[in-house]
Amino acid sequence: MANPILQVRDLKTQFATEGGIVKAVDGISFELYPGESLGIVGESGSGKSMTALSLLRLVPDPGRIVGGQVLFRDQDLLQLTGEEIREIRGRDIAMIFQDPQSSLNPVLQTGFQVDEAMLAHGKPKDQARARTLELLKKVRIPAAESRYKDFPHQLSGGMRQRAMIAMGLANAPAILIADEPTTALDVTVQAQILELLADLNRELGTAIIMITHNMGVVAGLCTRVLVMYAGEIVEQGPVEQIFANPQHPYTWSLLKSMPRVDALRHERLRSIEGMAPDLLRPPSGCRFHPRCPFRIEKCFTNEPRLEEVGPGQQAACWVTMDRARKEMGADELKDIRPGAGSNVHPGQEI
Amino acid sequence: MAEAAVKGTPAPAPSGAKSLVRVENVVKHFPAGLGAHVHAVDGVSFDIREGETLGLVGESGCGKSTLARLVTQLIPATSGKVFFGDVELTKLRGEKLRQYRRQLQMIFQDPFASLDPRMTVGDIIAEPLDNFRIARGRKRNQRVQELLKIVGLNPNFNNRYPHEFSGGQRQRIGIARALALNPKLVVCDEAISALDVSIQAQIVNLLEDLQREFRLTYLFIAHDLSVVRHISDRVMVMYLGKIVEIADSVETYSSPKHPYTKALLSAIPVPDPKVQRGRRLVELTGEIPSPINPPSGCRFHTRCPIARLPTPCAETEPPLEEKRRDHLAACHFSSDV
Repeated sequence: MANPILQVRDLKTQFATEGGIVKAVDGISFELYPGESLGIVGESGSGKSMTALSLLRLVPDPGRIVGGQVLFRDQDLLQLTGEEIREIRGRDIAMIFQDPQSSLNPVLQTGFQVDEAMLAHGKPKDQARARTLELLKKVRIPAAESRYKDFPHQLSGGMRQRAMIAMGLANAPAILIADEPTTALDVTVQAQILELLADLNRELGTAIIMITHNMGVVAGLCTRVLVMYAGEIVEQGPVEQIFANPQHPYTWSLLKSMPRVDALRHERLRSIEGMAPDLLRPPSGCRFHPRCPFRIEKCFTNEPRLEEVGPGQQAACWVTMDRARKEMGADELKDIRPGAGSNVHPGQEI
Repeated sequence: MAEAAVKGTPAPAPSGAKSLVRVENVVKHFPAGLGAHVHAVDGVSFDIREGETLGLVGESGCGKSTLARLVTQLIPATSGKVFFGDVELTKLRGEKLRQYRRQLQMIFQDPFASLDPRMTVGDIIAEPLDNFRIARGRKRNQRVQELLKIVGLNPNFNNRYPHEFSGGQRQRIGIARALALNPKLVVCDEAISALDVSIQAQIVNLLEDLQREFRLTYLFIAHDLSVVRHISDRVMVMYLGKIVEIADSVETYSSPKHPYTKALLSAIPVPDPKVQRGRRLVELTGEIPSPINPPSGCRFHTRCPIARLPTPCAETEPPLEEKRRDHLAACHFSSDV
């Protein structure tokens, strides 16, 4: 494989709150390769959005990046001056957000806001405008010339997100970070936007980091995926493999808990009991152990590290699903309460 | 359908089942200034059968939430009738209607906005009991604790406040409140849309358990067709104020009879890369037209991939009619879908 264009090493982002320090991103490492599309999935509070914001140093107060490296073209983005990182943002690495409504200025013409993304990086005005029209067409906004002059409120939600994507692509960045770009949209519009992103990824070779809670979105768009839980990466690897053979019990149960529109019959969903941990007081050992059906004694006290579990696939689990299937009858398990497979419950073993 | 009746699922209501709610040609228009009207719900008829879960899907602005409020008579209809059993709710006013509302409860989307932050959880759950003067003192307290237990919360949480709970727990509180009066019908309006995937599954399972235990009938509204399909016996699809299809939920997926349903289904990503990459998106052209000025004929004709224009699709409105047994669709060319 080619050299990665982005290398994240031991990234840590924390929030100092009245109750103590919240470790929103707690020492994660990953690489992004040129032209690939990488999914980062997780539920609310897993740290996926904070990871995305940390890459461009956009973490809101009182959050701070307290450690690690983000290497892009041999420079550590975390060490750059404010001026230097602003040069990178929008030119080399662009970002689009969930809510296009609040990312667009309501009193400026939509097209002009796309121009601005280029003007900020020194492109002459007339060239910027010509490029904007080209981009609006590229993101399939019909009647681009007249839409250029429309204000954001005159566009539908899907159109606004297309305009945001045009803005993100304005300077032909090497990386586009998309933070839940379709969550606020209707499914038919979501499908169009995802197709658009996939086409742009293929045609322009822009690498995409897709932050989402939706496993279906990852399945359709991404080649590799990171699964986050409570501020950490619990599993990563090629999409086909992670979906076909997840090794972390969290990934496994997340996939089992989703109803599928193509399911042939009604099966009871296997829900993950309990809720995501309080990051002020994360659980000891493996952070998933309070909810894990396959936990063993070790999980309560020792934190597992990411280890190779298949070609290119890593999971942070003392048990892994191969063993849970073989020894704990994971596939036959009807009820996936904590400790249901391993029969290990708190109070009896520690 | 026999194949839907797997162990651990509510028995689907047989198609001959008695209808609990019957909606006849209901219309709801909202004034939009200058004499214009938003045609939010524009003449819909259907029934909700006793003991079933009827799913309702459609995109933003199709009228599904308005329809939910019409079924529970939280808002008056512009015209048309809503029956609950043999009683015409649309004829009732004031106290009489209020008494019937005990049987019709709702669970809302936003578990943060639908619970009063200054009330204890116990008072929130007991509010319906207080409103109808059903229980006081120790009995009231007992009922609250019982309800908390039913929805899987610690019965001693009754003195806590909503902010102490997570989204999933708050939704359980909303469910406990809806169950307080032993309703017959519960309308779930995007009740799980705001929750995380793993929590959604917990609430879906809870709703299924409660349905079995208390013989509830659900109208389950969501924009996520995969969840609706999972929980529903029948699914109803709305587009721009009209019902375009109603059928058994397995059949809706395997053989939709309306091009809009087909497009909607094709747009839902399946969490399986092998399957997802082989699927073809039925792309809809254009945008959803304004409900102030809905298109003539079939309302879907402006975006329909199989429309024959102008005749008949832009001229004649297709009736919602039986295309197969117990499978209704409103399309002139449903056999081409």
